[in-house]
Amino acid sequence: MSPSDFAQKAVISGTSDALAPEDRTVALREEVVELARALPGDLRRLSVRSGDRAIEVEWAPALGEDSLAPARTGPARRPDTAAEEPVGPVPDVPEGLTAVRAPLVGTFYVAPTPGTDPFVQVGDEVETGQTLAIVEAMKLMNPIVADGPGVVTEVRVGDAESVEFDQILLLLRPTGRPR
Amino acid sequence: MISRLLIANRGEIAVRIARACRELGIEVVAVYSTSDRNSAVVGLADEAVHIGSPAPRCSYLHVPNIVEAALLTGADGIHPGYGFLSEDPDFAEICASEGLTFVGPPPDVMQQMGNKATARRLMADAGLPLLPGVVEPVRTVDEGREIAGRIGYPVIIKATAGGGGRGMTVVTAAADFEDAFVTTRATARAVFRDPSVYLERYLPHARHVEVQILCDAHGNGVYLGERDCSLQRRHQKLLEEGPAGHLSPRQRADLGRLAVRGALSVGYTGAGTMEFLVDESGSAFFMEMNARIQVEHPVTELLTGVDLVREQILVAGGRRLQVRQEDIAPRGAAIECRINAEDPTRGFAPAPARLDVLHVPDGPWTRFDTGYRQGDEVSPHYDSLLGKLVVWAPDRDQAIRRMDRALAEMRVEGPGVHTTIALHRALLRHPDVNADRHDVQFLDRRLPELLARAEAVAEGPAPDLPATSHGSLQLVQTPAGVDRPDPPAVAQ
Repeated sequence: MSPSDFAQKAVISGTSDALAPEDRTVALREEVVELARALPGDLRRLSVRSGDRAIEVEWAPALGEDSLAPARTGPARRPDTAAEEPVGPVPDVPEGLTAVRAPLVGTFYVAPTPGTDPFVQVGDEVETGQTLAIVEAMKLMNPIVADGPGVVTEVRVGDAESVEFDQILLLLRPTGRPR
Repeated sequence: MISRLLIANRGEIAVRIARACRELGIEVVAVYSTSDRNSAVVGLADEAVHIGSPAPRCSYLHVPNIVEAALLTGADGIHPGYGFLSEDPDFAEICASEGLTFVGPPPDVMQQMGNKATARRLMADAGLPLLPGVVEPVRTVDEGREIAGRIGYPVIIKATAGGGGRGMTVVTAAADFEDAFVTTRATARAVFRDPSVYLERYLPHARHVEVQILCDAHGNGVYLGERDCSLQRRHQKLLEEGPAGHLSPRQRADLGRLAVRGALSVGYTGAGTMEFLVDESGSAFFMEMNARIQVEHPVTELLTGVDLVREQILVAGGRRLQVRQEDIAPRGAAIECRINAEDPTRGFAPAPARLDVLHVPDGPWTRFDTGYRQGDEVSPHYDSLLGKLVVWAPDRDQAIRRMDRALAEMRVEGPGVHTTIALHRALLRHPDVNADRHDVQFLDRRLPELLARAEAVAEGPAPDLPATSHGSLQLVQTPAGVDRPDPPAVAQ
């Protein structure tokens, strides 16, 4: 898992277990083509491994989505574009936004129970202490709450996806007094 | 059998386990703290999960995050390495209840052997010789003083929950007993959250000899020779070697059989180490058992050709031991030097730093196990072990010379970097070490002299090692009477 780029990066691995090796390669190729067509933005980077069948795709953010945002690739893959950001393990958060990060390893849920309305959606205004999502770990539901008031600008993780420590879950545009 | 193994550790042992997995065709899941995000094992793994901030309690000791990482990545086994959660019975139990195979002994056996007083009682029951002392925790100063008087000074006060060389005090006279007792209990409470201590006779000129064992879950066990770890600083091992050349082949075989008997008597499974103190007459006394893979396991791997981590993983998966006792024939001599990022001249203070230069030695029968690469940072959050330099040679003299050659090749540089390299070269040159007549107090007793020698080694051309004998080549010392079924007691 790479913490910073769930939105613009997809990883597929371990598919088509039951197939013969040649069929697997064919299946893999088809999957790549299909995936590339379905991308919401321009293809930026594609890596395919056949040994244990892995595909990694990165794509450009769709126009208008947030064109001011810097490229959202992981720290290891970021091109050396001078000192636009402080060095360190800080994944990209667009200026003016704050990231809500996973405090623990677990499974991310947008709603209290499957099929119910999500806690928040993009555009929602939230208050301090309001539950934004939950991360389930060891059968315990851990509410993820807002540290301060803001507007949800992005939910970076899909429902029921795994998250690791410190991974960005949502982005908020803080309202009220700047911190 | 395990098909996808999560490594709940970091540094060299995480890399070591990942390599064993690769060779076994087992997929590797690494977990890492924030400061280890670009570490070597992360690069080796099929998948890596960020489990917390650098402080161990937030990452490598954080059970929920580690177990959750295993479940989310589809791992079916967890290898705890050494340190961290490796001897935590609760962790082993949680793994089992989540359907994860824990690479180590059953939780109840781990619990028993982790308590030194319980372990002593069980091993005494199994017929292993113990030093004069008490098995039950000693509760009061008066009780302790009475026992100490009975077993005779010097005595050593040890925390029952102790380990890693902490929570031990030697008392040479009755007048010092009270202070030592109170201090050791306080340390034990602070470090191990259990103030209980016990007492045993202290052997002043003893050697530390430990037997490597391997047991499967079907009641089979073998010993893989022994290691001498007498070169310790304040009970922290610095240089380990095998075989224990000061013992006869017969004594070594007897010790091995005793170790296996003790381990099997409590239902031990996996790789483990039985530690003994050996006095000047060659009598051995059981000290404690380490229920995990040990730092110094490569010494045994080089002597026997058995990949201990591989065997440990296979045995954890339920496989029967494939190797029989008669197949195990330790050959030649092996030495391991722990290369630590610490400054011996400043009380071995950890010296975390960036490794601008890390030039690793190479050459015949020379192995360097590390989790660091040039350019990596040594974090102040973790132990200072940079790597383990291990060599093998047909005999001890040649092994010493080979080790010295390898140490001389090694370069570790960076701002604020200090290592134990020069100290090791000084140790190998010391006449007592060279003649294999040092004991467990040697390093502490001779530290000032050794540091002066180390400085000389570091600054100029190193003084020559004693000439080797160029004697005949004898790879295997054949123990007399190995085939006898019943192990005679080593002592008493």
